[in-house]
Amino acid sequence: MEQIEPVERPLWNPYVAGAVLGLVLLASYLVMGFGLGASGATNRLAIGAAWCVAPHAVETNAYFAPYAGPGKKILDDWLVFEVLGVLLGGFLAAYSGGRLKLNVQKGPRIARTQRLLLAVLGGVLMGVAARLARGCASGQALTGGAALSVGSWIFMMMFFAGAYLFAPLLRKQWR
Amino acid sequence: MTFPLFGHDLFGGYTGYVVGTLVGIAFGFTLERGGFGSARILTAQFYLTNMRVLKVMFSAVATCAAGMALLAATGLLDLSLVTIPETFLGPQIVGGFLFGIGFIVSGYCPGTGVVATASGNVDALLTIGGMMGGSLLFGAFYGPIEKFYLSGAMGVLTLPGVLGVPSAVVAAGVVAMAIGAFIGAEKVEAIFCKKTGDPVPQANPKTRNAVFSGLGATVAVSLVFAFLPKAPPVATARPVDQIGAAALAEEVVTAPESFWLVDVRGEAVAAKDRIPGAIALPAGTKGDDLLAQLPAGRTLVLYGQKELTSLPKGAAKFPGKIALLRGGYEAFQAAYLVKPAPPAEATPVLVAEYRMRTALYQRFTGVRSVPEPVQIQIKSTAGAASAPKKGGGC
Repeated sequence: MEQIEPVERPLWNPYVAGAVLGLVLLASYLVMGFGLGASGATNRLAIGAAWCVAPHAVETNAYFAPYAGPGKKILDDWLVFEVLGVLLGGFLAAYSGGRLKLNVQKGPRIARTQRLLLAVLGGVLMGVAARLARGCASGQALTGGAALSVGSWIFMMMFFAGAYLFAPLLRKQWR
Repeated sequence: MTFPLFGHDLFGGYTGYVVGTLVGIAFGFTLERGGFGSARILTAQFYLTNMRVLKVMFSAVATCAAGMALLAATGLLDLSLVTIPETFLGPQIVGGFLFGIGFIVSGYCPGTGVVATASGNVDALLTIGGMMGGSLLFGAFYGPIEKFYLSGAMGVLTLPGVLGVPSAVVAAGVVAMAIGAFIGAEKVEAIFCKKTGDPVPQANPKTRNAVFSGLGATVAVSLVFAFLPKAPPVATARPVDQIGAAALAEEVVTAPESFWLVDVRGEAVAAKDRIPGAIALPAGTKGDDLLAQLPAGRTLVLYGQKELTSLPKGAAKFPGKIALLRGGYEAFQAAYLVKPAPPAEATPVLVAEYRMRTALYQRFTGVRSVPEPVQIQIKSTAGAASAPKKGGGC
């Protein structure tokens, strides 16, 4: 009964974390024949939510039609299950690592509401960008990068370029 | 057995979902332990005070690339069965750039956003909501951007393919670049943390060097395997049986549903004459696709004009048993497609064989002919056969 507060476990050595992540990705390739992803699942969730509200509009949309419609199950996809696993795995790690707490991640010089607005705005930008590029940091940079895909390496370089170029503008949010 | 396992049709869709969930749990757990559940750690990469993003991501890419190169070089992984993201040049340049901006504005990417949400960060949950909104926005404005979205399509384009080298060479380059970037990143962190007063990120140098050595050793071994002289594929690639002309002829008649008989001499040659029931192999990738798509339940029997010394490319993808016809078409032709000559000597074995060959000849060629009577020379041996037996066994 000495210790009630959960002790925060230190993060893994970044190179070890990277190697383990690489092995998880390799396992996915060896078992399933394809790698990891994330934005594909949020895309399907979004289409599914929109379909519940306005099924006709979704089924007649040129981009959404392949996902929704008679006989098509929007959420019946490997990625949806994988991302549910990510949610569960992240929760287990945060809980066992003593980092599970209600929080808003921000620097000290920005108001909470401003930060939350930016979080949504950045999400919208990434949502559009991930559709355009056919993947996100997981599906393109990590998965395609490891498979040595040319487009994925271009995506990775452009991702770093965009973030570095706009980082000075957003210094107030983080530093 | 080679990887990927799913290529062997071992399990159905729902098993895939179980595997997907397990892989996801491992992915999410590792991301959190890697520090990717915190937007402040993630964005510190771009203020140069903590380059965890680069370190974790590049070690992951290097580890997986090196592992795949090793397994591909040793023949354990069939890269042609692995799904590799396709390249769309323009959309990925613009998409990557926009994504980078979205990352520094929101503090997350989709995967880390899910992990940060699971850690209790409200901003991450809102980012995921924003991403869903972005998806819908993209769909709503798909009409005007469709042309750009579909532009620059280059199919599956890989660095080894473009450079024309084995993947082990590119993987070695990636590992070398990553280690160089890590050493550079640690120097940059030290400089910028001094300026801002942030604590310099510490990583146990022993562990770090162990990871570097592991990566180096993996690519070194894959390079050795990639450049080892390869033995002829028939000898090493997989066990290939041989089947004789007689056994094949019997199979053709008695059990035609037990094998796929494929004529690899080309469609034009096979159109003139081939073993009955044989499929003529189309040239090029069409033929490779045909071989790869034949159901695996039967044995794949291949023959050329003479005995085959190597398998056609697509045969490697045929999942079932493979056999080669001994002596090729010529052996079969000589045995069953030309009219057999009666045996010189009329021993019961030779006569039976002659009758069988004649029957098969008729069957395979459609030529109706009774076997010519075998001339039986009766040597008169006086005495022995002179006295007819009387009576007989009752």
